[in-house]
Amino acid sequence: MTDSELYLTAAQLFAAHSHDIAEAEATGWAQQLWKALQQSGFSDVPVPEDLGGSGGTVDDAVQLLRAAGAHAVPVPLAEAGLVGGWLLASAGLALPQGVRTLLPPAATLHLDGDRLFGTAPAVAWGHRAEHLIGLVDGVVVLAPGPAAESGAPAVTRGANLADEPRDTVVFDGVPLTARADAPHGVTEQTLWERSALGRAALMAGAISAVAAMTLRYSGEREQFGRPIGRFQAVQAHLVTIHQQAAVVASAIDGAVEAVELGRGSFEIACAKMLADRAARLVTAAAHQTHGAIGMTKEYPLHYLTRRLWAWQDEAGGHDRWAGRLGAALVAYGPDALYPAIQSGSEVVQ
Amino acid sequence: MVTSPATLTAPELELREQVRAFLAETLAWGTFEPGLGMAAGVDRTFSAALAGRGWVGMSVPARYGGRGATAVDRFVVVEELLRWGAPVGHHWVADRQIAPVLVRYGTEEQKQWLLPRICRAELCFCIGMSEPDAGSDLASVRTRGVRDADGWRVSGVKVWTSNAMRADFMIALCRTGEGARHQGLSRFLIDMRSPGVTVRPIPFLNGSTDHFAEVVLDGVAVSDEMVIGEIGQGWAQNANELAFERSGPDRWISTFLLVQEFMREWPDLAASPAGSGLIGELAAQYWVLHRLSLAVARAIDAGGTPAAEAALIKEMGTRFEQDVVSALRELLDRELVCGPDPAPSLFERLLRRAVLDAPSFTIRGGTNEVLRSVAVKGLS
Repeated sequence: MTDSELYLTAAQLFAAHSHDIAEAEATGWAQQLWKALQQSGFSDVPVPEDLGGSGGTVDDAVQLLRAAGAHAVPVPLAEAGLVGGWLLASAGLALPQGVRTLLPPAATLHLDGDRLFGTAPAVAWGHRAEHLIGLVDGVVVLAPGPAAESGAPAVTRGANLADEPRDTVVFDGVPLTARADAPHGVTEQTLWERSALGRAALMAGAISAVAAMTLRYSGEREQFGRPIGRFQAVQAHLVTIHQQAAVVASAIDGAVEAVELGRGSFEIACAKMLADRAARLVTAAAHQTHGAIGMTKEYPLHYLTRRLWAWQDEAGGHDRWAGRLGAALVAYGPDALYPAIQSGSEVVQ
Repeated sequence: MVTSPATLTAPELELREQVRAFLAETLAWGTFEPGLGMAAGVDRTFSAALAGRGWVGMSVPARYGGRGATAVDRFVVVEELLRWGAPVGHHWVADRQIAPVLVRYGTEEQKQWLLPRICRAELCFCIGMSEPDAGSDLASVRTRGVRDADGWRVSGVKVWTSNAMRADFMIALCRTGEGARHQGLSRFLIDMRSPGVTVRPIPFLNGSTDHFAEVVLDGVAVSDEMVIGEIGQGWAQNANELAFERSGPDRWISTFLLVQEFMREWPDLAASPAGSGLIGELAAQYWVLHRLSLAVARAIDAGGTPAAEAALIKEMGTRFEQDVVSALRELLDRELVCGPDPAPSLFERLLRRAVLDAPSFTIRGGTNEVLRSVAVKGLS
């Protein structure tokens, strides 16, 4: 994967805000960074400009998420853009002003007229959201968030392994801000897929950053009179990490290509599965290479590895996607297996 | 890591369809014993039929009998052959390795003499690299080429040589000069019918005696016309070929047919949560290995020599080939006993063969330990 200009610009912006990460873990929010994302328009990719977005393709949104993942960016960028922004735009709804996030597809919600009921667990940065985007009973909804000035739903704070807010939001008849029927092709399943693509893109970024950090450390740290990267046993870890970085990068490319052709179920399932597997292998090899320093709060490896541990279970873990893809392949039968491997969702839906 | 696109163009997809149609007609499923990847059967008639379609030595320029096809075209053809378990053994080495070597380093006479015959699948080659004391440490080969009035006299012992008993020629790495380890090495084409060549089969642990061999070279006369490239440049040439040899579908597809035939013969187990979960997991890994491997072929076509990338892919692809076998055995959880009646099914035959062959996947063509050293040099 070649880093696009967009990736490099975003990476620069994120690097300039790198000190916000530790602070955000303590306070639950990185206001300056979010502001910078809004001003640059990065938070509004790939929403079309006529709906208040910044335009851009799925690939653009994924490039931004790769950069965000590589810098452990503590804001709901996937939820605001690739996933939530897309969901709103798919139904022709305009982007609202302010912090927005997504009601994940696992939420148990229902509508009664224009009022929203039920519980949404693990809402990313839910307590900071002024707007919540969701898909409820086949309707794309925009609801006030816990940080809204009026009509705010109740919220209980939670956090994932990386101390990223994953809050529970309870709706007891909150009136919607806007609603529109989901168009054909936008279903709970496609929302799962978009969410998984977003997580996998973040993971691809985080894994590439772990690869770079570990390679650098193995060249600097000396033991027995030479850099540890000169030892074959350590080289094996470096190889594992870079293999998996290549696997995930290629998988993300494949998923984006398919989504831009209007499909992608097969490729996204593969990408999330491969990212989850890579996360396990890469974090283990990176920590083993770093030794004790990698276990400290001071050394930045944990910002990436804790996220990878958290994200591998989010938006559907390995088994969910493996089971789903496997069931589809079994249904198509043995003679379609290789064509599916070659052509993905062109063959298997 | 290479970043070339992993999608196929319309003509490449058309080529794939042609190969599929050819296989369905020439080698209908159920009418032959499918093999496990490149260690599949040897069938001169099949190789000749394939050559008749222009799919052996296809990257060779047209003036030498090939079609000047790209690495990606060859990838498309080879992938279809291997996933069908086709008997590619007769022409495999000539097609994968010897043809590109001759195109790159061969003299005009060598090209005119050998390439058209390779493209007609008339010639079978073997590769004389390993020796009793030179395995992973290949630069320590002791087989020696000594200058004499008419050319060279080659003496030494090569081992683990696949297909030596049926090969017309060996390409042999030999020491021809002194100097540092990687210098003074040269490559010769050796006519396997020359006086002084003795081939002794080495029985394989699976019972096969017609695959592996020891080749004793006792003062074999080799003319100057049979030197590949320049004397003393053997090591550098060898290193450049590894991108071709190490990144192809043959490095991750060997046990694919097990999965396919498992689905056919164990439909209920395949549809169970554990079964479908495994199939989904394996499909994802095949899908991405296919993409990475195709990207290397594209990079080669763009003029690159992605040797480090190829090493990364082979190292993980061959481990994956083994993981497929273990995972299926774990899922099946039954003894692999079979007798004449009832005859073992295709899946059972493939599985037994795969269990016995699997350790070789991470050894042949460069052990994974050596590959990791190669790969790490390419990281930056």
